[in-house]
Amino acid sequence: MSLGFRLSVVIIVFILIGLAMFWLSVGIVGKKARIRPIVIYAVCSGVSYLLSMFLSMWLFGENTVFADYFNVLYSLVCYTIEALALGMVIWKCYDTPLVQGVTASMLSHFIIYTADNVVEQAAATYSPLFDRKYFYTFITIVIPKLWAFFIAFAAAYVLRKSGFYRYFASLFSSRLRTVLLMAVSFLLMFVWEIIDYFYPNAEPNALYAVFFFSLIAVVLLWVQFMAMYTAGQEKIHIQEETISQQRAHMELLEELQQEIRAFRHDVTNLFSGLTLQAQEGDLDGIQEFMRKTSSYFDEKLGNEIKQMDCLNNIRIYPIRSLLTTKLAAMRQKHMQGVLEVLYPVRESQMMETADMLRGLGILIDNAMEAVPEKDGQIRLVMLQEERELYIAVANNYEAEPDLNALSEKGYTTKGSGHGTGLSSYRKILSRYPGFVARTYLKDGFFVQELRMPMRTA
Amino acid sequence: MIPVYICDDEQAISERLKKIISDQIMILDGDMGPVRVADAPAKLLKLQRQDTVPAIYFLDIDFPRQISGLALAQELRRYDPRGFIVFITAHGDLAFETFRLRLEALDYIVKGDYNAMSVRVRDCLVSIQERLRNEPSGQGRYCTLKLFDTVRHIPVEDILYFEALGYKHTLRLHLVNELLEFNSSLDHFAEQLGEGFWRCHRGFLVNREHIRAVYMKEQLVELDTGEKCPLSRKAKAAVREFK
Repeated sequence: MSLGFRLSVVIIVFILIGLAMFWLSVGIVGKKARIRPIVIYAVCSGVSYLLSMFLSMWLFGENTVFADYFNVLYSLVCYTIEALALGMVIWKCYDTPLVQGVTASMLSHFIIYTADNVVEQAAATYSPLFDRKYFYTFITIVIPKLWAFFIAFAAAYVLRKSGFYRYFASLFSSRLRTVLLMAVSFLLMFVWEIIDYFYPNAEPNALYAVFFFSLIAVVLLWVQFMAMYTAGQEKIHIQEETISQQRAHMELLEELQQEIRAFRHDVTNLFSGLTLQAQEGDLDGIQEFMRKTSSYFDEKLGNEIKQMDCLNNIRIYPIRSLLTTKLAAMRQKHMQGVLEVLYPVRESQMMETADMLRGLGILIDNAMEAVPEKDGQIRLVMLQEERELYIAVANNYEAEPDLNALSEKGYTTKGSGHGTGLSSYRKILSRYPGFVARTYLKDGFFVQELRMPMRTA
Repeated sequence: MIPVYICDDEQAISERLKKIISDQIMILDGDMGPVRVADAPAKLLKLQRQDTVPAIYFLDIDFPRQISGLALAQELRRYDPRGFIVFITAHGDLAFETFRLRLEALDYIVKGDYNAMSVRVRDCLVSIQERLRNEPSGQGRYCTLKLFDTVRHIPVEDILYFEALGYKHTLRLHLVNELLEFNSSLDHFAEQLGEGFWRCHRGFLVNREHIRAVYMKEQLVELDTGEKCPLSRKAKAAVREFK
């Protein structure tokens, strides 16, 4: 065979496998393949391939003790580096966590190589021996790769369309799960090498193929099941949270009702007195009474009703629940919490609701930690404007916070363990352009302000 | 003289307020006046442009069928970012925190009892006087900052230093008692502020007035607030040359 033919076969194989790997991994993390990341990946994988080749040559070359295991060790290094490279490309280009990218690339490696290997061995065993080697090469090398490519493409499409990523992401919710999943994916990536090592002369047959395809199926099912299970757990957790938030809301309503009852009682009493005065024609007494009671209603019920109105103005429901719970928590700790939302706030800010939820939660938690033991006061303001959403969280304090120390990592007045909040708040903000964050002291209050641009329709 | 404006659509209220304010200015011997009354937001905006800023504004919270007090105040702020805004309200339940934090409103006055109103007006005027006294004469330079559609003028002497954060062209501006993070570039401010500021590091632009000491060995610049900025090798060489 000519060198040109060999080279072109190698290139085709590389392109097919590379594309398939990329497509499937990106599909697993629920993203669309784009040209730029593909190019970056192509460069990265080329470099990493050469790197791993030299590295393994040098490490386990013929003269070292490892020489006997060259094949196994070589693929160990090669595959790991390859998976890491792809994981990093996905991490950088698609902004998904690194572990997820690496795991996705390991899983897709397993799927593609299994699909390819099984067909290749079947082809090598069953295809008739052709006179012309070109044709043989085509059948045993190119066709299986094409098949793997097709499988990857289809799987990626199905995974992306079915929203598999939601489940996949929830698999990484705890450290133990992450480690377990990564370990299993890592082993799966080498399943062929392991089998080759223990049974070097295994004859491919129908049983063998069935075994491997069922292995793929079992693995996929297992991952899917695990993922669905964790997602279910998460859902339960969220529901529990919603219930507790609803409960806080109910408590607020009950309190309001209690006060209305007391108010009604008072009003009846007051008016019977007033009637008496009117009958006697005591005009001064009546005026005195009016002066005294004009602000009575506001004092009694004004605050609760105002707060309800403000909460109702927040049309982003997760944010509303967050604020309801936090306000309830403040009441419980005898802090005076005031919320002001003058105009309806709708979900059209640049920030994703989940990030906004976390950011706002951090600010409020910090405020609640910083207020003095007695007479803590917290003010929350959200103001929807035409081009921006203005948020401010203000609290009074015991010791004046040092603003400049605040900008450093992990600043806290509460000893170790606290203070990680602010740095993650900053991290959230750093993901969004066009934000203005302001921190200042004013009239005995420590104020954290955030102005976020609105999405332009 | 600092002009004073009253904007309320109820004539009775605005007349009464005008009397209270004039009286109080006389009692306090304040450098304020004349007191002008506008019965509609549009008129006030026109009046504002005809006189100097900063000014003092007494604004009604809601005008039926016209722009709200909040929008009016925002409009006024655009022209007079350092003015003093006091709101007048019929009942005590206005969302004052919003006004105080968003518009830096000074206070609010509840319509009603004459004596109670004059006490409140007096408090406002006293606090304005105090603030004016503490404020720099206004001769100092300002650094202009455009955030969304508002412009902020920051006295240069309040600026400690600018710090470039590692991500997406974010700057952190360290002021006396304030931190401000926004999107911009150090080069822009280095150009705007000129000589008074020193680029002691690629990511730091320091106000020379606030430098207490430069530590060559530790490669640090210490400010009079005790904060420290890194000193780059290039800047260090420049300091050596200067010596």
